[in-house]
Amino acid sequence: MPNSKPGIKKLYALSSENKRFCFPQPLKHSIRIGKREYEVKLKSDDKYGTYILWKNRKYPVEVVSSRQNRYEILFNDISYTFTVETPFSMQRKKVINAARGKTEKETLKAPMPGKIIDVLVREGSNVLRGEPLVILEAMKMQNEIQSPVNGQIIKVLAKPNSNVMKDDILVEIKVE
Amino acid sequence: MKIKRILIANRGEIAVRIIKTAHKMNIETVAVRSAVEPNAMFLSQADVVYDNTEDTSEIPVFLNIEKLIEIAVKTKSDAVHPGYGFLAENAYFAQKCIDNKIVFIGPSPDAIYKMGNKTVARKIAQAAGIPMAMGSEGNISDEEEAVSIAEKIGYPVIIKAASGGGGRGMRIVRKPEEMEKMFIIASKEAEKAFNDPSVFIEKYIENPKHIEFQILGDTKGNIIHLGERECSIQRKHQKLLEEAPSGALSEKLRKTMGRIAVQIASAVNYYSAGTVEFLLDSDKNFYFMEMNTRIQVEHPVTEIVTGIDLIEQQIRIAMGEALKYRQEDIKLKGWAIECRINAEDVQAGFAPDPGKIEKLHLPSDSWVRIDTGVQAGSAIVPSYDSMIAKLIVKGKDRKDALKNCKLALDKVWIKGTKTTLPFFRMLVRNPKFIDGDFTTAFIEKDLEKNYNSSEYEEMLAAWLATKLFIEENFTDKSINDDNEKGKEMSPWLLNKRINQF
Repeated sequence: MPNSKPGIKKLYALSSENKRFCFPQPLKHSIRIGKREYEVKLKSDDKYGTYILWKNRKYPVEVVSSRQNRYEILFNDISYTFTVETPFSMQRKKVINAARGKTEKETLKAPMPGKIIDVLVREGSNVLRGEPLVILEAMKMQNEIQSPVNGQIIKVLAKPNSNVMKDDILVEIKVE
Repeated sequence: MKIKRILIANRGEIAVRIIKTAHKMNIETVAVRSAVEPNAMFLSQADVVYDNTEDTSEIPVFLNIEKLIEIAVKTKSDAVHPGYGFLAENAYFAQKCIDNKIVFIGPSPDAIYKMGNKTVARKIAQAAGIPMAMGSEGNISDEEEAVSIAEKIGYPVIIKAASGGGGRGMRIVRKPEEMEKMFIIASKEAEKAFNDPSVFIEKYIENPKHIEFQILGDTKGNIIHLGERECSIQRKHQKLLEEAPSGALSEKLRKTMGRIAVQIASAVNYYSAGTVEFLLDSDKNFYFMEMNTRIQVEHPVTEIVTGIDLIEQQIRIAMGEALKYRQEDIKLKGWAIECRINAEDVQAGFAPDPGKIEKLHLPSDSWVRIDTGVQAGSAIVPSYDSMIAKLIVKGKDRKDALKNCKLALDKVWIKGTKTTLPFFRMLVRNPKFIDGDFTTAFIEKDLEKNYNSSEYEEMLAAWLATKLFIEENFTDKSINDDNEKGKEMSPWLLNKRINQF
């Protein structure tokens, strides 16, 4: 199986917190810790589903989503998001990021399906990180959906008493 | 009077739990099949299943009083067990059962009403001389009254729903400016959840421990307590982990609080199982919070340290039997910890994550007890709570129980939804938690992150992402259909594809 591409000697997986993991290409089925190489096995069976076997322990894994080079992986019940870059795309990304200004937009999405009980902000409101923006009721709980950033509300899409699906955009915030 | 057949007016793990004890006592059980979860596990364990799948009403059958009475009559049930939640603390339902000559396995309608209405309960406790946080005399009508009372007792204050429970309809207010917004939210939430918008105000006790006492009373007037449970580990005012006993109580304090708990229960002539909740501040002052007139989710930790089956006691008391235990017979032995494994996304602030449980493996060691209402293939549906299983571990002391808890948590294997497991795996390794140094503010204030992940685990996840990238981008196009690329697809489909390589 030609699971490699000539000319690309390594790949980078960048975490959402900007941690960088570098892997050789073609990919080895082992990971080096200090001086030792430990074998990594990706397995799947009816009893456990898909899992990674590492140092004699099974860890449940799931691929939650894959979009272009962006992967959300559930590993031992914790989710991680990585973008995988080649040395070339890494370089290009750096150049683009440097050229682009710093204005960023944050979209706040519904973390689960439910009913909007209340919208606590309007367009133009200044909000602080952690401030409740929307009250969403789901599974016997009223959940405060909080602002992930300091900024200004540019758009409110959530309407009180309406039902929303997971990942529906509730509000858009200009990051300050 | 003997009970021969119990209608279980509930679902999930508590239905399974009640059936288990009923069978031990040679009592038949009736369960109700609803359209929302027609294949639920508890149905397979009941002797009789009443099919209610054609009822398409939006209100769950477990909240439909007329319907439940009808089912009880039709199925010739001579008793109803309400479990927790739903109608467990509905005085009208309890009365309706009695009116139809069906035994309600719980306290009297009068006790349910008095303790269920928090402002009435406050008045009763006050008259009995029970220590309480300062608060409003009764319900408050608007935010102006709220502000004037708060000025009197001093900020911070907490707004609570008069008919409340389960953490809903509560808001903490630290400044007068916040009062209007919080009053409206609390009142709306109360109306929606309990059909009653009335709220009252109490002084907010900062960073307390939540300590509750298990009560048992019979219809002959005997009331005892079965020691305390420590339930301070909460999020959104809802409990996540409970232990019995509590490391914060000396034997002397346990005696005092237990005596007061019994005194509160006596004030309403309480019978059946009940729970008196207190807040304990850092100076070990305690304040009566409320009394829950039902079996609690966390009842197993008490069962483990006392060796008493609380559901059995509820049934015996309902049959008119006198308690066979006196206070001095109750000896607490060992330590028990319960972790509520819920379908929740810890990384998204404990947001519910409903879905189908694809794989489920739970430990079966002798020091583990599992109470669950699901099995592999079951769905955690958005209409009900997010409980998957209660993992209850015992040990000879707290250290031993914690050690067992750590081991047991690593043996739990759940696929299909995100769970609270990463939170518990972090918690049992947290030095402050291990030292017993935690309050109800622990999750919000003392934790930077609700979960832990080792560097290696993240590296292995990165390895998997890289592997997928190679397979999707560098391999033969005949295997990797371009049309599929970039679309969201089910993890299970992706897994199948992983296996092709």
